[in-house]
Amino acid sequence: MPTLPPANARFAEIEGHRPYLLRYALAQLRDGQLAEEAVQEALVAALESIGSFGGKSSLRTWLTSILRFKVIDLQRRAVSERANVVLDEESESGEEGWLDELFDSTGHWREAPQTWSNPEAALEQRRFWEAFERCLGRLPAAGSRVFFKREVLGEETEAICKDEGITASNCWVILHRSRIALRACLEKNWFGKEVVRGG
Amino acid sequence: MADSVNCREASRLLSLAHERRLDAGELEALQLHLDKCLMCRNFDSQLKFLQRASEKFRTGD
Repeated sequence: MPTLPPANARFAEIEGHRPYLLRYALAQLRDGQLAEEAVQEALVAALESIGSFGGKSSLRTWLTSILRFKVIDLQRRAVSERANVVLDEESESGEEGWLDELFDSTGHWREAPQTWSNPEAALEQRRFWEAFERCLGRLPAAGSRVFFKREVLGEETEAICKDEGITASNCWVILHRSRIALRACLEKNWFGKEVVRGG
Repeated sequence: MADSVNCREASRLLSLAHERRLDAGELEALQLHLDKCLMCRNFDSQLKFLQRASEKFRTGD
């Protein structure tokens, strides 16, 4: 009985990463069916191009980078299908309300944004990206979608508003709110642990 | 001379600057505030960092 041919061994190795990839996709897409779809497409693509995997990065990193594109792809598709859902209640239910939670009556920060120590170094750390993904995942659906299109995909704000069927000022509020939420989340879950407050 | 703004308004302008060019009055008011407010300077740096991180998130490691 010969040992497993390399192709099958590769297949098994790649399959072994499926649970991790699924968690990754789920965090991004927050939709079980879409996540399965993304992972399935990524694994098929990976098997087809396994020859180009040079082993410079770990197999998991390589698979994740393929999945990342599938996720973005699906997000684009889902976005155009789901446009308009939830946007109204989230963006129009009192812009002032959420700001009042962040700023006191004189307009000062209730919780002062800290000076983050060496943020560039964080970009090189795998655990930072896990925190980043978790924080992205916690944004409200519309916020996460609009922020993703604006900052991750780099689309023009005007085009995003049009896609979403909302006014520019609505769009800006959503983006502003998402940025504030993201920075607070990162400060709490990443930078806050390192920061020593000055007097 | 533009009126200075508070943190609530300054943070809105800082975020808005990622969507469109601020006009001269907005810029001046913002600058007056930033000159004396470390918290909002931190916020400004953090928004720029979010932008870099998001771009890196797209392009991969």
